[in-house]
Amino acid sequence: METSIPKISTVLKTLLRADFTTQWRNRRAVILTLIVPVIILALWKPLVREISGPFVLSNSITLGLIATGLMGYSNAIARDRDKGIFQRLRVAPISSWSIMTSRLLVQMAMILMITTAVFVVGNSYDQVTLTPAGYAVTYLSALVGGALYLGLGQMIVGRIQNPETVNSTVRLVYFLFVMGGMLGQFYHNAEFQNAVKWSPYGTVRTILASGMEPAKWNNDSSMALLVTLGYALVCAVLGIKWFKWNTK
Amino acid sequence: MTADNILTVDGLSVSYGKFNAVQNVSFSVRKGEIFGLLGPNGAGKTSTLSAVEGLLKPQAGTIVVDGNDAASKPLHARASLGVQLQSTSFQNELFVIEVLQLYAGIYGVPASKNDLMATLREINLEDSAMKKFGELSGGQQQRVSLVIATIHNPRLVLLDEPTTGLDPQSRRQLWERIEAIRERGHAVLLTTHSMEEAESVCDRIAIIDHGRVIAIDTPQGMIDKHKSDPEVIAVSRRGRITLEDVFIALTGKAIRS
Repeated sequence: METSIPKISTVLKTLLRADFTTQWRNRRAVILTLIVPVIILALWKPLVREISGPFVLSNSITLGLIATGLMGYSNAIARDRDKGIFQRLRVAPISSWSIMTSRLLVQMAMILMITTAVFVVGNSYDQVTLTPAGYAVTYLSALVGGALYLGLGQMIVGRIQNPETVNSTVRLVYFLFVMGGMLGQFYHNAEFQNAVKWSPYGTVRTILASGMEPAKWNNDSSMALLVTLGYALVCAVLGIKWFKWNTK
Repeated sequence: MTADNILTVDGLSVSYGKFNAVQNVSFSVRKGEIFGLLGPNGAGKTSTLSAVEGLLKPQAGTIVVDGNDAASKPLHARASLGVQLQSTSFQNELFVIEVLQLYAGIYGVPASKNDLMATLREINLEDSAMKKFGELSGGQQQRVSLVIATIHNPRLVLLDEPTTGLDPQSRRQLWERIEAIRERGHAVLLTTHSMEEAESVCDRIAIIDHGRVIAIDTPQGMIDKHKSDPEVIAVSRRGRITLEDVFIALTGKAIRS
């Protein structure tokens, strides 16, 4: 008698339903992810006039993406791995990639949600409005930038087994991004500013800001996109290589 | 492999770095049989089970589940297996009914919410459908885990120390559920530290120590075979030879970590 293997579509649909439900019930974590970007939009309102709307919105979205990739994704993976949830799923007749695909799709949805929230608050509070093409390119840029931070999160959770250590590490890395990347932009030193510009923070911020004004997309924007893709690829490859499904 | 075998493990070896956890282990589990793997801590029971479950890649040997080679047809092999891990955990944000829906889905079982509620009713947990798994008692968690392990009516059920931490009532109830699986003509492979469990439930047992199978027989057959051994008589208590006496004599009195 032939053993029946469930269809990939059925498996993915089932996993996605469970993962979205889990994410929805973790609303506190989602709100915490959104708080910092919203605070930036509120505090930096004067900078909309002094520098530009895309500058403020791109910083806000970048911080949201970092929080999603590091605090959201890494912590959830580390916790579920430690509790043996992945092991239980992996003894079922499903491929390991389907488990991760479902997790990543949920995070992609989070990225789109954060970007939308920034657009809504940016429009209503900071009066920043983009063209339809600007919105569309920014969503795409957010997905690319989000992939970088998800890859970085994967790297951390691949290298570190203990969920508490993962949690403290991602908080430290987040803090470094805030201090070095976001606030570093205002440090008047050409070399430092150049380093920030080509850091994982700076390249993502650049493609987001350029995406908001597609007409102003230039060589620096294209280079930032390529560097972002490079960072994402390296982080993802190392993260997948190092990752272990259990902590035992 | 005979036609009656639902699981055949042949020459299995599993290593962690330089440590050989399982060395050249061979055994088979027949249809309608409850087979127990017994051994001290660190003997290689869970590693053997993990290799059968597909969680570990063995260094050598073959595993055939219901005619499917676990190396070349892993998904088919896993589809024939129902698994209850030693420390089962499910997403804590999901309700019990949602966990059942999740596993019904990934095993390709077309079960409606009403079907799953009926399943919970069978194990007296209908009222817990909207509770989180972590809110259930140990016995209730084991019942849910066993239901999930058998949700797709597998031909072989693997249970890793299923009664650890259960009170006598819950343990007896679980034994009855395990026996019910056998009565359906399916097979069970379980690991246990409890000699009482092995004697009460298992049709055959294998004692594994230092990664090697050192004896395979029925519980009574093992007692009969070794009851006259001086080592067994030396460790026996109260003048009656038990399976535990045989086990201690074969694996030694030293405490394992």
